[in-house]
Amino acid sequence: MLALATACSNPERSPTTVPGARIAVPRDGPAGEWSMPAGDYSNSRYSELDQITAENVKGLHVAWAFSTGVLRGHEGAPLVVNNTMYLVTPYPNVSYALDLTQEGQPLKWKTRPENAQAATGLACCDVVNRGATYYDGRIYYNLLDGHTVAVNASDGTVAWRTAMGDLSHGETITMAPIVARGKVIVGSSGGEMGVRGWIAALDAKTGKQLWRAYNVGPDADIKAGARYTAFYPQNRGPNQGTSSWPGESWKVGGATVWGWISYDPALNLIYHGTSNPGPWNGVGRPGDNKWSAAIIARDADSGEIVWAFQPTPHDLWDYDAVNENILVDLPLGGTTRKALVHFDRNGFAYTIDRATGEVILAKAYVPMNWSTGVDLKTGRPVLAPDKVPAPGKKLSQICPSLEGGKNQQPAAFSPRTGLFYVPTNNLCMDFETRDVSYIAGTPYIGANAPEVAGPGGYRGEFIAWDATTGRKLWGVKEPFPVWSGALATKGDVVFYGTLDGWLKAVNARTGDVLWKFKVGSGVVGNPMTYLGPDGKQYVAVYAGIGGDMGLLIAGDVAANLPYDVRERGSTLPDLARWTSWGGELFVFAL
Amino acid sequence: MTTIERIAGAGVGLVALLALGEACRESRAAEVPQAPTQSSSAQPARADSAAPFVAHLEHIRPGQAPPRGTTMRNPYAGNAQAIATGAKLFVSYNCVDCHGADGSGAMGPSLADGRWHFGGADGEVFESIYQGRPDGMPAWGSAIAPNQIWMLVAYVQSLSAGKNVSVENFSGKTVERTGH
Repeated sequence: MLALATACSNPERSPTTVPGARIAVPRDGPAGEWSMPAGDYSNSRYSELDQITAENVKGLHVAWAFSTGVLRGHEGAPLVVNNTMYLVTPYPNVSYALDLTQEGQPLKWKTRPENAQAATGLACCDVVNRGATYYDGRIYYNLLDGHTVAVNASDGTVAWRTAMGDLSHGETITMAPIVARGKVIVGSSGGEMGVRGWIAALDAKTGKQLWRAYNVGPDADIKAGARYTAFYPQNRGPNQGTSSWPGESWKVGGATVWGWISYDPALNLIYHGTSNPGPWNGVGRPGDNKWSAAIIARDADSGEIVWAFQPTPHDLWDYDAVNENILVDLPLGGTTRKALVHFDRNGFAYTIDRATGEVILAKAYVPMNWSTGVDLKTGRPVLAPDKVPAPGKKLSQICPSLEGGKNQQPAAFSPRTGLFYVPTNNLCMDFETRDVSYIAGTPYIGANAPEVAGPGGYRGEFIAWDATTGRKLWGVKEPFPVWSGALATKGDVVFYGTLDGWLKAVNARTGDVLWKFKVGSGVVGNPMTYLGPDGKQYVAVYAGIGGDMGLLIAGDVAANLPYDVRERGSTLPDLARWTSWGGELFVFAL
Repeated sequence: MTTIERIAGAGVGLVALLALGEACRESRAAEVPQAPTQSSSAQPARADSAAPFVAHLEHIRPGQAPPRGTTMRNPYAGNAQAIATGAKLFVSYNCVDCHGADGSGAMGPSLADGRWHFGGADGEVFESIYQGRPDGMPAWGSAIAPNQIWMLVAYVQSLSAGKNVSVENFSGKTVERTGH
């Protein structure tokens, strides 16, 4: 109720639309299904279902629930195709198919592919899985131990299982794939382990690797060739992926692909972000460290880089650029631009031309002080000198913290309002580097960075953003970082979950909290919506605290103790009072 | 005897003991009266006819408590200098980035909460480091000298010493929600 009161008193709130803003690639499947991690190739997380409206959402109630049997961070969302719901759990990455046509949603099948347990000790930020994607009679997803699997939707048999990552060097896989033109696009995790990040395409039919592109290294490895066109002068010239690193430091340079993939079929480009460079302590890697902390557009068929852009060159703050790239067409400067909107960890929201990589607009969407702004002539951030980590310097109050203005929790876009709905963090950090050695299969970090609540004392906010002006329309302040994704619907209701276990519905135009329900565990997954076989609209969300922000609760360590110096313990000392570990799907209906 | 030999010896003894246990269960199932003294049926089965490699039959009796195995003790137990060195090694070997500052938990479990997943006795912690554990703890036996592992054992044991973490009380002195 306190959050509600805050929203109601927010003077920035006013009904608004951005005329002409539209989703770049509306989905072509049935509106009642949810066949991809984000609902569509654009990563809009928008549904055309409109039975649940701002007027009637207060009548939403639990229809049914399902325990996944795993008590770790449940990121991602289930899929619904052909009246069947598909779920993938955190490690051990069990997949379930539930028959929605029968009362009680009985299992059609349950599949537990072979998955090396050693992986659980190599994943930086809990043993999460961000979900599956459906394509042509199969679901495709990744296993924490570095495999990609195709599971037949009819009977749960594993059609193929391809080894993609190298556990011995700390590579795991947590991201949700997409399928573009018959190719399963997957990428690696392990940016905290000194791995060399990559993205790859597998033949959906056979599981055979069709291409693999590293994000750091020589042009041949990163697939920078004839099609590469740098928008900014500093990005021109051969072998940017080695010349921006000293010696062979790029070989342990991070730049993994653990976030979300979008796809524009008209341009035949996939868009992905890359993680922080390794190690966090940047003293040993002077240079821009391309293409870590970058947004990259690649040809879907060949993997060739078409353009790349670094929101945070020479990242020293753990500002990965893996956050989702939402593809929209926006009215800008009197014309409609093919845009990509990206809410970066570094606290800037970027509106980018998705054909060329030109930054059209970059504005802070959360409280921040590490940079005073983005120079649009170069796309580079202007640094605040007192917030630049260096050996021997003890820096305090750098905002945002290493968790970013936003992290894995994906935003949503509604063509009805033209607005982006963004789950955000409001955290700051102190930062101190320390020496670090590369030991294969162990963390490669070299810094301490304890976090505290940012300005205002709240630690998260759910905001509405106009990407044509770079303006926040309204926000719902939250006591904890908003670690759940957003869902936008045609009923002008937007959903998100909270770390302390609430699923909330807000008015897409005003930000008024219209309804909330306390689920069994903190929400770090992404709400989705589908049409049941009974013709009713349902909303589903995982309850299962974990991921980087809820990791220590997921790991069942003691909380709230006077001698507790854990990072999350000091950042969120009160969280364990409000929720506990869990692993359950909650499904709601009117 | 070196540490490694002692671990190997303990393992062989365990195999012999398990074999004996099988024999005892079989004899009960057949309702054969328990022999109060050692009998030939209690001999561990062996594929070859040579003398048993390990035979502790003089002190193993059906129905008795099993003999205690070798217990490894930390030569640096309570040694403040070793604990301080162990704290440095904890950072040098990147333990800190898995187990958190002061072993408070991060990617890997907390070592400061007294909840030992694989036991908190000297030898148990040593083996967790030396051999690794199946949930992701790497095996460090070939990379870290045994005396350094013992210093790490001394350090991580010191993190929870004297703490009571059995109760999390959220009333009274609890830090209240900040923000809203």
